[in-house]
Amino acid sequence: MSGDGSAGASIVTAPVVGSTPRAGGMLVVDGLVRHFGGVKAVDGCSFEIKPGTISALIGPNGAGKTTTVNLIAGALRSDRGRIVFNGSDLTGKRPHQIAEQGLVRTFQISREYASMTVLENLMVSPLHQSGERLLNVLFRPGRWRNEERQHLERSLEVLDEFGLYAKRDDYAGSLSGGQKRLLELARAVMAAPKMLLLDEPLAGINPALTARVADHIERLREGGITFLLVEHNLEIVERICDHVVVMALGATLATGTMADLRKNDAVVQAYLTGGGI
Amino acid sequence: MGAVLGYIATLGVYFFIYNIFCLGLNIQFGYAGILDFTVITFMAIAGYFAGVAVLGPPQRGSEIFYILGLNLPWPIALVIGVVAAGTLGFLIGLVALRRLRSDYLAIVTLASGSIVYGIVNNDNKIFDGAAGLVGVPQPYTSIFGFNPNTYTWYFLIICAVMMLLCWFVAERIYRSPLGRTMRAIREDMDVAEAFGKDAFRVRMLAMVLGCMMVGVGGVLTLAYVSALSPAGWSTGETFVIWAALIVGGRANNLGAIVGSFLVAVLFNEATRFLPTIPGDPNLISNIRNMCIGGLVILTLWLRPQGVIPERKARFAELPTAAKRRPPGESLVTLGSVDSVG
Amino acid sequence: MSLFLLSLGFGIVTAAVLALSSVGLSLQFGVTNFVNFAYGAYLGFGMFLTYTLASLLHFPLWLSVVLGCILTGVLAVVIDLVILEPFVRRRTSGFFMLIVTFGLQLLLLNIIQAVWGVGFQSFTSGSGSPITIGPFSFTADQLGIVALAVVAMVGIHLLLTRTTLGKSMRAMSDDPSLAKVSGIDTARVTLWTWFISGCLAGLGGVTLALNTVSFQAYTGNNFLFVIFAAVILGGIGKIYGAMLGALCIGLVVEVSGVWLSSAYKLDVAFGVLVLVLLVRPQGIIPTLGKA
Ligand SMILES: Nc1ncnc2c1ncn2[C@@H]1O[C@H](COP(=O)(O)OP(=O)(O)O)[C@@H](O)[C@H]1O
Ligand SMILES: [Mg+2]
Repeated sequence: MSGDGSAGASIVTAPVVGSTPRAGGMLVVDGLVRHFGGVKAVDGCSFEIKPGTISALIGPNGAGKTTTVNLIAGALRSDRGRIVFNGSDLTGKRPHQIAEQGLVRTFQISREYASMTVLENLMVSPLHQSGERLLNVLFRPGRWRNEERQHLERSLEVLDEFGLYAKRDDYAGSLSGGQKRLLELARAVMAAPKMLLLDEPLAGINPALTARVADHIERLREGGITFLLVEHNLEIVERICDHVVVMALGATLATGTMADLRKNDAVVQAYLTGGGI
Repeated sequence: MGAVLGYIATLGVYFFIYNIFCLGLNIQFGYAGILDFTVITFMAIAGYFAGVAVLGPPQRGSEIFYILGLNLPWPIALVIGVVAAGTLGFLIGLVALRRLRSDYLAIVTLASGSIVYGIVNNDNKIFDGAAGLVGVPQPYTSIFGFNPNTYTWYFLIICAVMMLLCWFVAERIYRSPLGRTMRAIREDMDVAEAFGKDAFRVRMLAMVLGCMMVGVGGVLTLAYVSALSPAGWSTGETFVIWAALIVGGRANNLGAIVGSFLVAVLFNEATRFLPTIPGDPNLISNIRNMCIGGLVILTLWLRPQGVIPERKARFAELPTAAKRRPPGESLVTLGSVDSVG
Repeated sequence: MSLFLLSLGFGIVTAAVLALSSVGLSLQFGVTNFVNFAYGAYLGFGMFLTYTLASLLHFPLWLSVVLGCILTGVLAVVIDLVILEPFVRRRTSGFFMLIVTFGLQLLLLNIIQAVWGVGFQSFTSGSGSPITIGPFSFTADQLGIVALAVVAMVGIHLLLTRTTLGKSMRAMSDDPSLAKVSGIDTARVTLWTWFISGCLAGLGGVTLALNTVSFQAYTGNNFLFVIFAAVILGGIGKIYGAMLGALCIGLVVEVSGVWLSSAYKLDVAFGVLVLVLLVRPQGIIPTLGKA
């Protein structure tokens, strides 16, 4: 992935730093800022994700991608800027409130519920389970038993889709690295999200599995889930992503398709040829 | 003969009461991963409040002071005590259960316990300070009779019923989506929140429920021994409950029962009746506490999951399961992308 | 006004006691990365070992203090080697280390009671007429405590900045895995850390005993959460933070005595702890860096 011959002069997508994104995106991030002491981890990040697309957030290490994901998911508070999801402002919302709106994130390293079974890991995910209310638990088991059966059926289906069915009764902590990545995705699917934020879903897994995770993502997009993935593997990004956001030094450097970005000198300079991929 | 039976019944009473304590702590620690290092405080607060609800107003000029003094029947006193314990748990939870590191949480519970202990011990207007409540009438002596040996057997039945009630609640929660969510939060709070679980609400629920359950045990303790003073609920007592749960097996209610039998009854209560060593009346209790501290450390070393480990969740297989891939074939190596759409 | 100044003077003494204890706790946390709930019992050992040397073996007080603290340090090392290190080597999570040290607390406190009894003891030291310095007046004991704390803090500062051991401690505190790959003998540094932590606990215990006049097995343990308050206020694992936290808590606790009954000292410390946790759980000076 060296942008050799494509350093053409025509810059198709102008850098969007500081510009206001157009309305109408599923997720609109506008002028996001977050500093840690003197470190400007995110410093003016703006982009927009259209519904039904797969977008990638790329950039060299330390560009602020994970911090951006944390800000969107509510795990960190932004110093400045706005995040709008499906028309509602997410600023200041707590992580679980954001998830309840259908925006679910995964973590850069696999974080399964280690001493629960694979099946249970999935069963936790569905939102607003009526069996999570104490009064229902104690006095109205009929209310949630039915729902529980549906969740179980759906979980088994999803496990089957991800090839984890045989592992359903194993402790999640005993899975291999690749299986854990699949579990992360399967677990996220169980939350029936509108949009998934995946932080390096392909990190640390073998090439064969990489292709399969990519296939899963495309399949889920067909099912109506919008994706934003932080990714270093530009081959996969090129293959499955409709849209790419490039970050450097905490700010959005450019947005566009992979082909657009190849023609963008600034991007090629900062990233595509700059190593660190 | 009657004395021996009475002794057995006494151990039985303690067994059930410790079951209740352990079930309460299990909800907090075993299910939700809350390090409540002051369990015994909730027992005491429930006991005190139930006591002042049952007792009449303090006599004038008797040098005995306590709040309330309501002359209420025991069932209402039980409710008052349990609500008091739950309320204290809620207040401590407000500070401790914000997204703090687990060591801070433990520190807050420990510190809150010392503060409550200090206040109750030093302020003799609340629960008569270091003297504590004495002469609280035992429940239903008029029905069961005053003979201490036979009374204990009746009291044992009350304790058993209460324990079964707590067991039912604890098991119901464990097997429900609520219990599953608690355990998910115990495993990884950030992830659970990213999946839409309100960790603060769920942990607060576990905290308050646990405190209320411990409170039930506290009221029963007071009702049985009919007195409660600060000397009876030091940090060491908290540790007996912790030891019981760790030894028995956390996150497993059966473990809580087995642990309270092994630690609280077999070991702790049995050694309580050993003769004291002349010249050093505390030595036996010191040695007992050393053993309990050592027992916890040894258990965590030799069998960290306890005698009865947390059980693996099993779901009844559904009929549709038959049409799935046979096990072993469908691991990660096998593509399943085309199976849908 | 004079009452205020008097309280301020007491505050400085309490801060000195606190600084000795909280630096020891914070240093150990920084290096080993788990909280030691048995630390209050270490203070107790410091008191009683010194007491035995001074009152029963009739050593001079200063020598008893020195020996008592070294013995407490040795005890801390032995406890680490025998009980804690095996768990650490097995990669027990900090969560379970808390329970282990909580169990250790019960074990140690009861050993103290079994050996030295449950009653109150006190040091017989020559605290003569108060000495007046500027607006403050102190007893000789109190002056000694403050002087000891100042010397110890300067010593810790020199240790951390001038010696290889101190620099290794700081490195381990900042990034344990990096410290290991850069060739630091982490096992040795850990043992030294426990020794220093134990010595400081011993000093903290003795000064606490001198300051509160009479003491028993639980005196140190009851002081534990005040130490925690100072450590958390300063940012857990941060040495200079712990010193500053100790100063703040010591002053606040004693000066509050101007308006509140002295029976509420612990409650004031608790109030500060709660306030810190609610408002700024990362401590007042998170940018100073650990250790
Ligand atoms: N909690 C934090 N405290 C201090 N600095 C942080 C924190 N999180 C991230 N950073 C810094 O912010 C920058 C961006 O980090 P990150 O978002 O993880 O980058 P990326 O995911 O793109 O590799 C890095 O320089 C990192 O060191
Ligand atoms: Mg990252």
